[in-house]
Amino acid sequence: MRRDRIGLLLLCPALLLVLALFVYPLFYGLRLSLQPRAGGLFTNYTDFFGDARERETIVNTLRLALPATLINLALAIPLAYRMRRRIWGQRLITGMFVLPMTLGTVLLAQGMLSFFGPRGWFNKTLLLLGISEEPIRLVHNATGVVISLSIAEFPVVFLLLLGFVSGIDPTLERAAQMLGAGAWQRFYRIILPLMIPGIATAFALSFVATFAVLPSAVMLGQPAGETRVIALAAWQAAYERFDYSAGAAIAIIMAGIQLLVLGLVLGGRSRLYRGPATGGKG
Amino acid sequence: MQAKHAGAATRETVTIERPAPRIERLRIRNLTKRFGDLAALRNFDLDVQGGEFISLLGPSGCGKTTALNCLAGLLEPDDGEIELDGASVARTPPERRRFGMVFQNYALFPHLTVGRNVAFGLEMQRAPRAQIGERVDRVLGLVRLLDQRDKYPAQLSGGQQQRIAIARAIVTEPRLMLMDEPLSNLDAKLRIEMRTEIRRIHRALGLTTIYVTHDQEEALSLSDRVVLMQQGLIRQVGTPREVYIEPASAYAASFLGARNLLPVRVVAATGDGQEIQIETESGVPLAGAARSAFALGDSAIAAIRPEHVVLLAEGRGGDNTIPGRVETVEFVGNSIEVSVRSKLTGEVIARTEDLWREGETVALCLPRERLLVFPADDSGEMI
Repeated sequence: MRRDRIGLLLLCPALLLVLALFVYPLFYGLRLSLQPRAGGLFTNYTDFFGDARERETIVNTLRLALPATLINLALAIPLAYRMRRRIWGQRLITGMFVLPMTLGTVLLAQGMLSFFGPRGWFNKTLLLLGISEEPIRLVHNATGVVISLSIAEFPVVFLLLLGFVSGIDPTLERAAQMLGAGAWQRFYRIILPLMIPGIATAFALSFVATFAVLPSAVMLGQPAGETRVIALAAWQAAYERFDYSAGAAIAIIMAGIQLLVLGLVLGGRSRLYRGPATGGKG
Repeated sequence: MQAKHAGAATRETVTIERPAPRIERLRIRNLTKRFGDLAALRNFDLDVQGGEFISLLGPSGCGKTTALNCLAGLLEPDDGEIELDGASVARTPPERRRFGMVFQNYALFPHLTVGRNVAFGLEMQRAPRAQIGERVDRVLGLVRLLDQRDKYPAQLSGGQQQRIAIARAIVTEPRLMLMDEPLSNLDAKLRIEMRTEIRRIHRALGLTTIYVTHDQEEALSLSDRVVLMQQGLIRQVGTPREVYIEPASAYAASFLGARNLLPVRVVAATGDGQEIQIETESGVPLAGAARSAFALGDSAIAAIRPEHVVLLAEGRGGDNTIPGRVETVEFVGNSIEVSVRSKLTGEVIARTEDLWREGETVALCLPRERLLVFPADDSGEMI
C-alpha cells in the first residue's frame, strides 16, 4: 500500500510535464480551433479540407516523411545488425553516424545547399567524371528535403535499432546456424522477427519527427510548391494571415494524422511477437 | 499362467538394441585454439567411435567448451584436423556440418512455437512439409512433450525447454551431437531426471555425442568414455570406471572426488603399482599405492577419497593410523562428513555412517591400498 503511494508520487513529475506541455496545449489548441473568426464551429476544418491547396499539404508532407523514414529504416536495419558485435573502430563509426544529431537542421541545410547545389562539389564531381551531362537537381525540391530528413533522423533510428539488436541473445543465431541456416536465413528468420518491435518503434519516432518538418522544407525544398508541408500551412495561417484559430485547426489535423499513424503501427506491433529476445535462462 | 505372461513381456522389453550410428568414427587431431596469449586448447587428440557418448570434463577454463565450439565450427581452430569417416570437416561452415547442438541456455527461438522451433532444422533442409509435421510429432513424442507443441518457449519450464532444445537438435538426425553443459541451469532434482532422459534418448537413437560438463557425476553416469581436461590439455581419457578407480594424476584424482590431498616425500625408491613408503611434511610415516615410479626423496601427492577414510574409536591402532580430533560433523543425507584434524597437513575429510561428536578424539586410518601416491609435478596446477 505504502509502496504504491511512493510509486504514484514518483510518477507525478512526469505526469505534470505531460499535462503542462502536451495535454493542456492540445486542448487549448482544440478549443481555439473551434472558435473561427467567422462561421460555425467546424468552419476552420471545412475550409482546410475544402481548399485543394491546403488539403494537398497532407500529401506533400507524407511524400517527404514516408520516404525519409523508410530510407532510414532500410539503411539502419542492416547496419545495426552488422554492428551488433564489437567490431574494429566501432566507436568511431557510431560517433560518425550520430554526429548529424548534434548539428541543427539549419546548419545541415546550409551545408547541403552548397554541397548538393548546381555548383556544389557533388555535381562538380559528377560532371568531371562524365557520369552526368548537366548538374542534377538535388536541392530546392522534394529530393533535397528527403535527403536532409534522412540525415537528421538517421541517428535516432540507428541507435534505437542498435539497442534492440544487441539485446538479442547471440546464441540464437548460433543455434540457427547449427540447424543449417545460412547468413540470410539467420537474419530473415530469427533476427528480423525479433527486431520487429524495435523497427515499429523506430518507424513511429522517425515518422512523427519528419511529419512535423518545417525548416528544411522551407530552406531545401520548394515551399511554394511540392514541399509546402502541413506545418508550413499552419505557420502561414497563424503568422501570415494572423488567423490563430485556423492555424490551431491545421495543427490539430496534423496531430490527428500523427496519432493515427502511431496507432496503426503500435497496434500492428502488439499483434506480432512481443516476448523476450532470449532463448531461455541466461 | 499370469506369471508366464509377465515373464514374456519382460523378455520383450529388455531386448533393446542401439540403432546403427550414423557415422563410423570421428577423428580429431592436434586441435589448437589460442585467444591472444592464452592457449585455450592445446593439441587436442581424440578418436570417437560411432554411437559413443563422450564427456569432456573439467573445471571452467579447462578448454572443454572451446573444444566443443571448434568441433561445431562456431570457433575457428588455429590448427588441427577434424575428420568424420575420413572426410575433413574442419573448413566446413557450421550450417553445413549437419551436427546437432544443445546450448547451456537452451537457445530456443522465442518468437516461434515449440513445433516451429523443432521444425526449423527440417525447414532449413527443405524437407517436404508433410514429412516435417510427422517427424516433429515423433520427436516431440520421444521427449514426451507432444502436448506442448503449440506453446511458446517462454510458457514452458526450464526442464521442458531443455527437452525441446534436445528435440530440435535430434530431429534433423545429426551426424554428431554436441551438448554444452545442457543441465547446468536446472535445479538438482530436475538435473538427475534430465540425465536419465538424455541417456534414454541416446540409447534410443544411438547418436554419437560429445557432452561438455564440469559435473563429475554427470560425466560418469552418462558417458561411455570421459575426457578429463585441464588448462587446455587432455589429462586422461578412459571409461568412467577407469578414471574413477585408476586416476592417472593427482589432478584427476582430486577432480573425481579424492578431496584429501597430502603433500608427501618418498622414503624408498618404488616401481609403478607397488606399495610405497612415504612421509608427510610433519614427519608421519605412511604407506600407499604408487601410481607411478618414484625415486628416493621425490616429492609426491598422496590422495584418498573421503569414503575410503576409516574412523575408529580412540586408541585403536594399526597401519597408517594416527590419532586425530573431530573438528566438524556435517550430515549430508545419505552419509555424514566428518573433518578430522591431526598431525597431517590440513584437515582430512571422512565420509562415514557413524555418528561422531565434534571435539571427540578418534583414530584416523588411511588404508594403504586406497592411499594413491602421484608425482607432485602437477600439484601446482591443482584445482
